Amino acid sequence: MRTAHPVRLLPAALAVLFLSLPSAFAQDELSRADVKSTKPAPRTPDGHPDFNGYWKSIRGTITGNIGKDLPGLKLPFTPAGEAALQHNLTATIDPESLCIIGGTPRHNASGLPFEIVQSPKKVVFLYFYSYYRTIPVDGRKHAADPDPSFFGEEIGRWEGDTLVVDSIGFKDEKVWIDENANPHSDALHVVERWTRPDADHVNVDTLIEDPKFYTKPFHYTRTWIAGRPDEELAEYSCSENNVDQTHLGFGPGAIRPDGTRGYLNPAPLPPPVKPNELPKK
Amino acid sequence: MNAKVAALATSILGVVVAAVPASAHHSFAAEFDGNKPMRVVGTITKVEWTNPHAYFYIDVKDEQGNVTKWACEGGGPGALSRRGWKKGDVKLGDTLVVDGYLARDGSHLIDARRVTLPDGRIVSGASAGDGGPPVPNP
Repeated sequence: MRTAHPVRLLPAALAVLFLSLPSAFAQDELSRADVKSTKPAPRTPDGHPDFNGYWKSIRGTITGNIGKDLPGLKLPFTPAGEAALQHNLTATIDPESLCIIGGTPRHNASGLPFEIVQSPKKVVFLYFYSYYRTIPVDGRKHAADPDPSFFGEEIGRWEGDTLVVDSIGFKDEKVWIDENANPHSDALHVVERWTRPDADHVNVDTLIEDPKFYTKPFHYTRTWIAGRPDEELAEYSCSENNVDQTHLGFGPGAIRPDGTRGYLNPAPLPPPVKPNELPKK
Repeated sequence: MNAKVAALATSILGVVVAAVPASAHHSFAAEFDGNKPMRVVGTITKVEWTNPHAYFYIDVKDEQGNVTKWACEGGGPGALSRRGWKKGDVKLGDTLVVDGYLARDGSHLIDARRVTLPDGRIVSGASAGDGGPPVPNP
């Protein structure tokens, strides 16, 4: 009997090893990220695309930066917008870390998974931090003077197979438009265009207009992939034990050149403990 | 062969860890100093298996017998559980080796980036998606 060449065994051995590793980030984004779907988008009984499902980030997506699609990641600030950014960087703690709702469009830039629950007259987004937004799709119009909120007053409508969500009426205190402390004002107007091109993906094109803080409208686009059937949101009580809020500095801290939060070259951790170095009880 | 497989698996895990999006409850860099890695070794006095983070409080004894209390911040219970780390894996009185980064405000708080359990098992306590340094594979 021939012995299999080690190289031939490599893929199988790798698969076994990989599957046996602790599922460190199983929920985050590794599975099926690059798989092209061959299944069409499902439809609801009334003929619209069915967005119901658990959606998660795709590997390689730059998250947390609302300017990711702009050349050089440069947002078109007005002088007032630049001043608001400096205020956020130097005098505000990330509102989300203080258990304040991230709102629109920040949640679209998040790396965390979310669920969509859709009915004929309403589409509901459920978020990882136990926040939600409900979007009426029933023909109503914006109120003349909506009460400000973190998600804004959201009105949905169908344009063919696209779910369009038009939002105004935003708060302008304790808000960051993304995780990098970029600002928005109460003049914010957001138009999201959601599509489900196939069974395994949803897309959004987010138009952001805020003439107080930005000289021109800009877009933020994104695709998510369907989670596994067993994946779902869990309970998350942000203020249960928010010890770290008293340790947080102002602003997001260091931002890397690719626009994501974090240190570019952090100092390495000490080498792992060897078995013979384990402390004795 | 085994070494090759291990090396490849290590590089895959490294990629996976590096690819986790920035999205956590707060930015690593808003709380911890990426230039101050450190190790604390001590016995557990309290476990808080809570959101938005789990905390492990340990007593660290120096050579003179003086005890210093440290708080070690981990990911939330959901993130830790998905890595196979359950609340019952650490017990009061256990000795932990915690490798992480010091809080920027200088308090006795580190993020529990890499935790060595009493049985030698090494687990990631990192808050996934906080933009912090990837956890080197043990």
